[in-house]
Amino acid sequence: MTFVSSFQSEWLKRRRSLASWLVLTGAFFTPTIILASRIKNHAALPALYVTEDFWRKLWNQSWESMEVFLLPVGIILATGLLAQIEYRNDTWKQVHTTPRGFTTIYLSKLLVVLLMLVEVFALFNVGVYLSAVIPSALFGGVPYPTAPIPFASFWAANVNFFVDCLPIVALQYLLSLRFKNFLVPVGAGFAVWFLGVGMLSWEYSYLFPYNHGAVNFLTATGHFAGRKLPARVEHLALIYSAAFAFAGWVLYVTKREKG
Amino acid sequence: METINLTHKFSGAENALNLVNLRVVEGSIYGFLGPNGAGKTTTLKLILGLLKKQHGDIHVFGKRFEDNRVETLRRIGSMIEGPSIYGHLTAAENLEILRKVYRCPGGRIREVLELVGLSRTGGKRASQFSLGMKQRLGIALALLHSPSLLILDEPTNGLDPNGILEMRGLLQSLNQNRGVTILISSHQLPEIERLVTHVGIINRGNLLFQGTLAELLSKRRQNSFVAFETSDDAQTELLVRGMGFSPRVESGRVMIPALERERVADINRTLVRGGMEVYQIGRVESDLEKIFFDVIGE
Repeated sequence: MTFVSSFQSEWLKRRRSLASWLVLTGAFFTPTIILASRIKNHAALPALYVTEDFWRKLWNQSWESMEVFLLPVGIILATGLLAQIEYRNDTWKQVHTTPRGFTTIYLSKLLVVLLMLVEVFALFNVGVYLSAVIPSALFGGVPYPTAPIPFASFWAANVNFFVDCLPIVALQYLLSLRFKNFLVPVGAGFAVWFLGVGMLSWEYSYLFPYNHGAVNFLTATGHFAGRKLPARVEHLALIYSAAFAFAGWVLYVTKREKG
Repeated sequence: METINLTHKFSGAENALNLVNLRVVEGSIYGFLGPNGAGKTTTLKLILGLLKKQHGDIHVFGKRFEDNRVETLRRIGSMIEGPSIYGHLTAAENLEILRKVYRCPGGRIREVLELVGLSRTGGKRASQFSLGMKQRLGIALALLHSPSLLILDEPTNGLDPNGILEMRGLLQSLNQNRGVTILISSHQLPEIERLVTHVGIINRGNLLFQGTLAELLSKRRQNSFVAFETSDDAQTELLVRGMGFSPRVESGRVMIPALERERVADINRTLVRGGMEVYQIGRVESDLEKIFFDVIGE
């Protein structure tokens, strides 16, 4: 019960915050670009909308920028911004004088980050669907896609991609709680992400915690021809995220000054 | 609430607190006084668990704070180093955040907003509030769950004279009508001397005085002077000394250690008879800083 109240309290803080705007912007960014491009080139759409792999193509097209670029950058920024709500308003001292255990506070805030990520995924899926159906509603010659939506494989991909993001969430959460200066977690996050992108073509890049999503997606879409992953990337992601979350918890609970 | 030999040191510095034994009696309003940097906020942060305790002990509601942190905090309301307010949210939304944690009834938000005079702020975001309004919202946040102990660190900062009066009235009412024990820090004795029942004075991490307000005022009276402003300081000093007092001349006035009012009248008569023109007679009381110096012997 304490945890539920604590989570509800933390969830309220994101209202009208920059982090919540980032969720909306990040989720709809790629679908909006795709939609704009389709509206501009609507003459070519009738042929495209009757293809059998219509949804698969749209899915891959939408996720490409999301997995490699938008999702990691969005997580780095949103996690930093969420912690900044306390730093910027100088409210840590209030948070830590409420009758809650430090573990409860740590987990409540982490759950807010995770649920915002779920929000991004949900809105992104809606955005992908809308980017497909809006052109057929706007232009008479464009039919509703004839191919069925492969719900099961899209659901599985969503779950995998979500798990792949968890190490980034956990490490960025650790950094954001640890450092008052917003630039430290964001700068460190970007540096690690750049490093990961730079090593994507390396055969062991799947070991790098910020690369799981990109490696998973690029392998599945045939970008790394002939390369097979020796382990399930999701398992690695879960191990990394558990280790980072535990380290973050230890650092948070043992912090000498809490406000 | 009491601290036992509370000692704290920040890295590379001398002790911020040195064997502080604070004792706040239930039902009292305890004024915790000291100049900036004296150790007031450090003490309050340690009491609330915002700083990791290094040495000594803290007992609140008869129990060791460390062993009962969550239960103890449930009965404490606090405002440390200014109000903790989410600027992107309204006053009611700020209170709702705490209401969820304390699980108070929904109507309590309107009650405390009315209590601090912020019930008409509506959809205005807290970042657009004046400093005084923020301070009042900070008090509302501290009062939301009807705490038994209220810990306020310089709560009158940013308030205009009228706001200070209102704040004083509010705290007195909470203490007298609802039995709330209040620990309030300030660097200005005149600001809280009409409010508090007990006083603790801290300087450079050492608790220099602790007792009732009456005890402090008696100490202050002992350190007060009667100042005579006359046409001739030297002659006045001579005449007063002749009456058996020990005057000194300071800033164009002859200062005599605290006197009963009959003695003041005697001196005045002697001066007039001696041909002095007496322009002004007044009481000069030691300020807080001077009491500090007297107590620590500097």
